[in-house]
Amino acid sequence: MASTACFMIVSKNDIPIYEAEVGAAPRKEEAAHQHQFILHAALDIVQDLAWTTSAMFLKGIDRFNDLVVSVYVTAGLHTRLMLLHDSRNDDGIKSFFQEVHELYIKTLLNPLYLPGSRITSSHFDTKVRALARKYL
Amino acid sequence: MANFLAQFQSIKTSFDRVIIAVEDVSDLWPLVKEGFEERLPFKLGFLNNKTRNAVPVDELPVEYILTTDSRIRSRFPQEQSLFWFREPYATVVLVTCEDLDEFKTILKPRLKLIVQNDEREWFVVFVSKAPVHNDLATKMAKKVYAKLEVEFSSKKRERCCKLDIHGPDANFWEDLELKVTECIRNTLDRRIQFYEDEIRKLSEQRFMPIWNFCNFFILKESLAFMFDIAHLHEDSLREYDELELCYLETVNNSGKQRDFGGMDHGDDQAAVLELGKKALTQMVQDDDSFREFEFRQYLFACQAKLLFKLNRPFEVASRGYSFIISFSKVLALHESILPFCMREAWVINACSALIDATSSHYKDGLVAADVEQEFYRVQGDLYSLCRTKLMRLAYLIGYGSAIQRSPVNSASLSMLSWPKPAVWPSLPPDASSEVLVKEKMILQEIPQVKHFGIQRKPLPLEPTLLLREANRRRASLSAGNVFELFDGRANATDGSALPSPLPKAHAISMLRTNSSPGNFESMIDRPMRLAEIYVAAEHALWNTISDADLKKSLSSIEEFEQKYLELSKGAADNYHHSWWKRHGVVLDGEIAAIYHKLGNFDLAAKLYEKVCALYAGEGWQNLLAEVLPNLAECQKILNDQAGYLSSCVRLLSLDKGLFLTKERQAFQSEVVRLAHDEMKHPVPLDVSSLITFSSNPGPPLQLCDGDPGTLSVTVWSGFSDDIVLESFSLTLTATNSADEGIKALKSSNATTLKPGRNTITVSLPAQKPGSYVLGVLTGQIGQLRFRSHSFSKGGPADTDDFMSYEKPTRPILKVFSPRLLVDLAAAVSSALLMNECQWVGIIVKPINYPLKGAILHVDTGPGLSIEQHAIEIERYDDGSCDSCDFGVSEGSIDCESHGSAEPKQLTLKDAKIELPDWASNVTSILWIPVRAISESLARGTQAGAAVSQRQSVVEGLRTIALKLEFGVSHNQTFEKTLAVHFTEPFHVSTRIVDKCNDGTLLLQVILHSQVKASLTVHDAWLDLQDGFTHTGKGDRRPTSAYFPLTISSKSRAAILFSIGLENALIKNQVEAVHPDSILNIQYGISGSRIHGAHTPMDAEPVASDDSVKQLNFRSSLALLRPVLDPCLAVGFLPLPSSGLRVGQLVTMKWRVERVRDLGENIVSENNDEVLYEVNANPENWMIAGRKRGHILLSAKQGSRMEISILCLPLVAGYVHPPQLGLPDVDEAHISCNPPGPHLVCVWPPTISSSYCIPASA
Repeated sequence: MASTACFMIVSKNDIPIYEAEVGAAPRKEEAAHQHQFILHAALDIVQDLAWTTSAMFLKGIDRFNDLVVSVYVTAGLHTRLMLLHDSRNDDGIKSFFQEVHELYIKTLLNPLYLPGSRITSSHFDTKVRALARKYL
Repeated sequence: MANFLAQFQSIKTSFDRVIIAVEDVSDLWPLVKEGFEERLPFKLGFLNNKTRNAVPVDELPVEYILTTDSRIRSRFPQEQSLFWFREPYATVVLVTCEDLDEFKTILKPRLKLIVQNDEREWFVVFVSKAPVHNDLATKMAKKVYAKLEVEFSSKKRERCCKLDIHGPDANFWEDLELKVTECIRNTLDRRIQFYEDEIRKLSEQRFMPIWNFCNFFILKESLAFMFDIAHLHEDSLREYDELELCYLETVNNSGKQRDFGGMDHGDDQAAVLELGKKALTQMVQDDDSFREFEFRQYLFACQAKLLFKLNRPFEVASRGYSFIISFSKVLALHESILPFCMREAWVINACSALIDATSSHYKDGLVAADVEQEFYRVQGDLYSLCRTKLMRLAYLIGYGSAIQRSPVNSASLSMLSWPKPAVWPSLPPDASSEVLVKEKMILQEIPQVKHFGIQRKPLPLEPTLLLREANRRRASLSAGNVFELFDGRANATDGSALPSPLPKAHAISMLRTNSSPGNFESMIDRPMRLAEIYVAAEHALWNTISDADLKKSLSSIEEFEQKYLELSKGAADNYHHSWWKRHGVVLDGEIAAIYHKLGNFDLAAKLYEKVCALYAGEGWQNLLAEVLPNLAECQKILNDQAGYLSSCVRLLSLDKGLFLTKERQAFQSEVVRLAHDEMKHPVPLDVSSLITFSSNPGPPLQLCDGDPGTLSVTVWSGFSDDIVLESFSLTLTATNSADEGIKALKSSNATTLKPGRNTITVSLPAQKPGSYVLGVLTGQIGQLRFRSHSFSKGGPADTDDFMSYEKPTRPILKVFSPRLLVDLAAAVSSALLMNECQWVGIIVKPINYPLKGAILHVDTGPGLSIEQHAIEIERYDDGSCDSCDFGVSEGSIDCESHGSAEPKQLTLKDAKIELPDWASNVTSILWIPVRAISESLARGTQAGAAVSQRQSVVEGLRTIALKLEFGVSHNQTFEKTLAVHFTEPFHVSTRIVDKCNDGTLLLQVILHSQVKASLTVHDAWLDLQDGFTHTGKGDRRPTSAYFPLTISSKSRAAILFSIGLENALIKNQVEAVHPDSILNIQYGISGSRIHGAHTPMDAEPVASDDSVKQLNFRSSLALLRPVLDPCLAVGFLPLPSSGLRVGQLVTMKWRVERVRDLGENIVSENNDEVLYEVNANPENWMIAGRKRGHILLSAKQGSRMEISILCLPLVAGYVHPPQLGLPDVDEAHISCNPPGPHLVCVWPPTISSSYCIPASA
């Protein structure tokens, strides 16, 4: 498992709708800030890259010293699943993204969930963390 | 071959164009030189590159050099092959000759000699000096030239051309250029081939021990250089790329420990764009390779030069950026041998150099948009890389306080490892004063306290504690004690120390004593303190850095800030140009922080606003929380009240977890303070994110047209404490019609909002029909006029939902079009008992409208009164419950399922009934006890006589005027007048059934039941009028008493009385008492109030076994004394047997006979005359004769007279015959014997042919 990993879902309006520090490293308060900042800045790169490829998984689009940003762009709503990580396990990250995407779709199917609003389901959170432990 | 490097470099610097040798055979060069050179450089040529593809060369600079020139002559053969690229690419042989013989004998052999000697590319230029007008000379020249062509040109290749000095020959120059280009091309091909072969040979030996990179380099670079001077830059670039690859391979593969380089003074200044900074000989090592540090920069410089020549500065930038990154990594590998912070200094320098060079070469708009975007992006990257490294250096020398601890800086610096020198620089011996200065600086440093007293852990600017890192790397320090290490850590600048003032003050005093100069020298071996580390680093840096600019930038905090600002601006601008707005805006925030610090609050606020707008727009609250307090502070200083308020409100509306409660309270108190005290004029402010509102969950408030109501609205307050709104108003927007406009609901009372959810009620005036949604909430807090547009925060689950405005708006109010809201109807249509206490049922049926709190006004009409009895109410079930309890004497439907909690008894107050709440939505039935009063006595009629039913109905009709007040505030009324029908239980009719011989009359009394209930007659008696008397037992009872007698609804029964006539004497005595006979009936009724008449309430049995209380019914009967014998008898004489026919006269005959004498009291003068009258329908009968007249009839008994009238029937069929009446005689005195027929048959007239009309007519 990666020591540092910050996972975030960004809606099509660039609003973060879900975020989780999923790294094994002990949580540092200030790290969350930095991770958010790095992921936010990486949106600039995603906006350029997303339309150049038909693949959903954009690996390693941005590097910040030792940290790498991988992104998975969903096809329909242009929701971006972003992961800041220090591991190099591309296959694991890809699987992680795919499974989280499925989870996200399930959330979208919930009639009480308004697309684009924050995902507050604790079930979703638990599942994402379990997936992170499994793949990252 | 390394010896040649120096020569090679000098050749390269001095030699920059293609050389063409001029073999001046006939001393013509001075003559034609000018003409030749003025047409340089060549244009429009094609050269072949390495892959033999023709490449267009726009401009080819060429130099003509005479073969006699020293530059060409004095070369060793070895040199020639090595530096072949500088040999002439073509030889132009300049000849002239005016004589054929001379050509044959002298010129030709000489030319042959020149031409045959090697594989040089050559051609002959014949210069004709013949003047134009001299035909002979011209002719001769032509002849000689023709000979020349024959000799030297072949079919394959033209090697001659002719220049007329005096004649116009435009073609010559083109010809010459073509030929020269061809020669150059051929030579180039051959030389490329040569170099290629050589390089291949060397490449094959690459992994052998004898391999010498220098040789390879010289060959490869020669080839590259040759391409370069032939203006085949692209190919040249490719060679350099290959060379770089090859070099990296050898460097990485060779097992030898090689010198890296970079130890010279000035090496910190990157030579990425400077070719001549170091000579190649300076880079060489061991005669077979180059030092990496210098050589890689050299190669990059060569590539950059070519790229600039190719006009691709953007590629320089992007290659440069990746070069800097990769080279920085290489530097990191060798960091231990390099001077302290050499790497950082180099990167800063390289970035600046690259930025300057590329931006000066770059012209806007010449390239595709995406390339341009990429260029700016790389520029931005370069700037920000440079900026990061500069910050790192500044931090090392103690300027950390000047660096904003923002996420961007923190992320850049805290993940960037410290420089790793072999040994951390130690303090120079004479630096004690500097240490003092630094310490003073550390102490004087104002801890960064955010506005509003926001206390959050400052973001780190260092990967690990500098103190520990520096001491760990000090060679002289033997295993430092951790506590010792942290001796001086109370300095807040370290980032890890909590900014609590108390320990800090303590530390100050401690430090003062520790750092007194006296005992300084003895402390060499103890861990360095922070100030000492700074000073040591500064000294080491000054040794490393040779660049004056960089030195200057690091010389003081102000200079550093200046440079830092410059770099941040550069980065931000470029990122903005590249549309990387997030990167750009973040850096704008950094610039703003500097301006903020420098006191330029106006600019700072503007930039901060930009940052905040981005973060807020994209909902990145964590990041927003960092910047927003700064913006607020700037706005406060600028006295921008509206902006400041708005910032405070935005701070309050951020996620609650982002700030402490205390901080949030500070925000709120600022808002309140400003609103109430400071502001002089009202300031409008949008607080949509802070105060939100929505309708209450559940269905919208439903009102009918004209209904006022109370609207309940949920308001969410994001304030941390209670806040008082002096006033507020809500607008309602009609959803169905746009032109309806917006209604504002105002509440001028001060309202206190608790943090979180509040429910506010607003009184709502009557609205027009339609559906309404909430519009805008406005209000006032002090001088602050706030406004909130949000309306859909449904519940606590999505309080932090930024997208709530996308939710569909839920109507809060529905106002219906006018319609019937309720209906009142009488429950029973059949008649009730008159003069008894009866339940009248009123069905109250709400029609989709709640009747909560409705009040029913009951106003009874004349002849009807409400009894003092509880009013009952029950659920009405439209007949579905009827089957379960019909006939129940209580008359109330009491289905158990209806819940016993429903109140059933109501009281009438001031003719008003309040309906219970449970009945607000269900149809209910109200039972009101009433009594209809009728003074008149029922009258019996004679059997068979037509009874006017109508009359009795009208008499029994009573009205109840009802008025229902209902609606939210009793504004709706419904009025209805119900008609209730009352009746007596029986209708009585009589007839004399028989007249017995003894004068007894059998009187039959027929009782018609008038009600929809079963009546039981228990007893009946007849109080007779005068002139009649009961015969028999004399108990006034009927002859046969089969009581009780049950009469079911709407049926009849009869009882018989036996009466006789009374003699006259008694009659006179009691005349006044009994004008009419009275029938008394004692009866009982059993009926249900839901069907009609029923037992009166006061007659209901107390217990079930009690006999029903009997009711009384009285009816007057008019009995007539029997008629005496008639005086006259009228007989109708039979009609002729032939029958009657239309148009046939017939005689009607009546016989009038006096039956007895007229009574003595009938006094008349003309007793013997009787007036008669014949009545006939004139449509049926024509009467001939006297219809009315007197007949003479003697007064004696038995006299008779016959009246005959001639009649003519007019219509066929059964018609009434004419009747004879005697108007003067009372009908009672006339007996019709035999009586006349009721109808007679009249035949149609006989058919008469004389009336026939021929058919043909």
